[in-house]
Amino acid sequence: MLNEKNIYNPIHAKLTDVIEESSLIKTFVLIPEEEFSFKTGQFIELSVDGIGEAPFTPSSSPLITEKLEVTVMKTGYVTEIMHNLKPGGYMGIRGPYGRGYPVEKFFGKEILILGGGCGLAPIRSLLYALENVKDKLVKVILCYGSKTPADCIYKPLFDRLNNTEKFEAHRTVDKADESWSGSVGVVTSLLNKVKVNIDNSVAVVCGPPIMMKFGTIRLLEMGYRDEQIYLSMEKNMSCGLGKCGHCMMGEFFVCKDGPVFTYNEIKHNPEIWK
Amino acid sequence: MQYYSIKKEEWDKTLEQLLLSHTIFAAVKNEFGLDYELIKPEDIAGISYNIPKPATPLKSFFLPVRENVTAVRAPQKPRIILGIPNCDIEGLSLLDSIYLDEDFDDIFYRDRRENTILISSDCFGKQEHCHCLTYDIKPYSERISDLAAVLLDGIIMLRIITGKGEDFVRKIPQAHQVTDEKIMASINDKHKVAEESLKSDHISLPGYSKTGSLVSKPNMEIFVKYSSHCVSCGACTTVCPTCTCFLLIEKPGFEKVKQMDACQYPGFERVAGGEDALFELKNRFRNRYLCKYVWKPEKFSSIACTGCGRCIEACIGKINKNELFIELAK
Repeated sequence: MLNEKNIYNPIHAKLTDVIEESSLIKTFVLIPEEEFSFKTGQFIELSVDGIGEAPFTPSSSPLITEKLEVTVMKTGYVTEIMHNLKPGGYMGIRGPYGRGYPVEKFFGKEILILGGGCGLAPIRSLLYALENVKDKLVKVILCYGSKTPADCIYKPLFDRLNNTEKFEAHRTVDKADESWSGSVGVVTSLLNKVKVNIDNSVAVVCGPPIMMKFGTIRLLEMGYRDEQIYLSMEKNMSCGLGKCGHCMMGEFFVCKDGPVFTYNEIKHNPEIWK
Repeated sequence: MQYYSIKKEEWDKTLEQLLLSHTIFAAVKNEFGLDYELIKPEDIAGISYNIPKPATPLKSFFLPVRENVTAVRAPQKPRIILGIPNCDIEGLSLLDSIYLDEDFDDIFYRDRRENTILISSDCFGKQEHCHCLTYDIKPYSERISDLAAVLLDGIIMLRIITGKGEDFVRKIPQAHQVTDEKIMASINDKHKVAEESLKSDHISLPGYSKTGSLVSKPNMEIFVKYSSHCVSCGACTTVCPTCTCFLLIEKPGFEKVKQMDACQYPGFERVAGGEDALFELKNRFRNRYLCKYVWKPEKFSSIACTGCGRCIEACIGKINKNELFIELAK
């Protein structure tokens, strides 16, 4: 009895590379020391030894199990220390946790993805998963917004998607500089450019809370139904196990029942955007 | 229900024998009231029966305030907890749903649950804020605890509730099955008296089935009024038998310390980006009511307030949640 799995124990993962995506965002490449896999949209608890632990959705392909990529924005105490880590050390991983994107439900449909800022991290993992099943999809449209051109992460991703059959990617920035000749405006402004058969479509939204809120409102205005909109919710997911209570959002533990919800599932709670 | 009886002096001797192989905690009166104490042989005669209620909630035996949850679990002596009121026993139902969840079984909690014999104590008295019956919880246990103890005219009556309880009693040679229906009828009479006494209190207090809709309806002004006396100390959650939120603290060597936390503390839901749905005191205060009367019952089909009244007794702002509910119901 005393040797059973302890849900609080992390597995160790070697940090093999740190990729600078923007001034505030880095991607950590990790090789777990034990077998580890996840479904796209699920999250992990990533820890810095002796410092702290925080939830992140891996940004790498769920089809690759020998390594894992986690994209982290420098936002608080733990992430600031993560940003100072150099390859060669070890980090802790617990998970995967929660309910990710129901990719099978997207078969036969057009998928409109709305991403903002570091919200592109979970979306990149989703895009890898969708590329793997593109024969079963009608179309995938990515609309992504960043504050400035320099804040845009995974820049090569956009060209690659635009050269991939059934995929198209659009970018906008809130504030342009001399290097930028593309769209300027919030991410929802890109929705005017895309052609989508809403009746046979689902929408995926991931980004900062304010962008999630107005993105959802715009999608509803376009004619998307509540159950067609998939939201990746951000809460203080401390344990990841549906126990610690920090991520309660109404009757849901976001860590266990989410983090991906349809708008229909959570719209009755007026506090979802807080 | 099946009862076994044993003379009080024989029962005390049995407990003394059990101390050789078990750790025993029991409800004992002290200068502050009633609370659980680690029993030594000389304490056995002073164990209280049928009096509500220990100051410490039962959860403390299964969810320590602070523990290293990555440490090696050392085998523990089996444990007996004696004198548990039914409000606390019923609270275990929710704790079991959370911590024995089939997806993520907390081995520390499970070890303690499996290692413990729960002997509840029928409440024949009440304290000022006891309102279990208003929430459809009887002042005596018929489930979850292994045994229920009644002290009646120098005899300890042990009501069998679980197979574990039955096994325990069958190993006590001095305990005999009760066949005299008069004795059982007299216990039932005591139950009825206790229930009638509880019924006569809190007449205007809405039942648990109504509390959820009362908390959910637009009523922020009432929560603003009551929260104006709240200092976010978390005493209400600390003494609550069903509040079990915690924080995981990272220690060197990828160790984790699990420490009790409370939604009443500022920053409980704050994320690194700064968003905090419970930033305002009124929202934090109301969150506890939403959790206990709306969300947890819906999610776990389990009661999340057992009417023990400890939160009322513990509040330094003298916030009486029963008064709040009466005002909500007006």
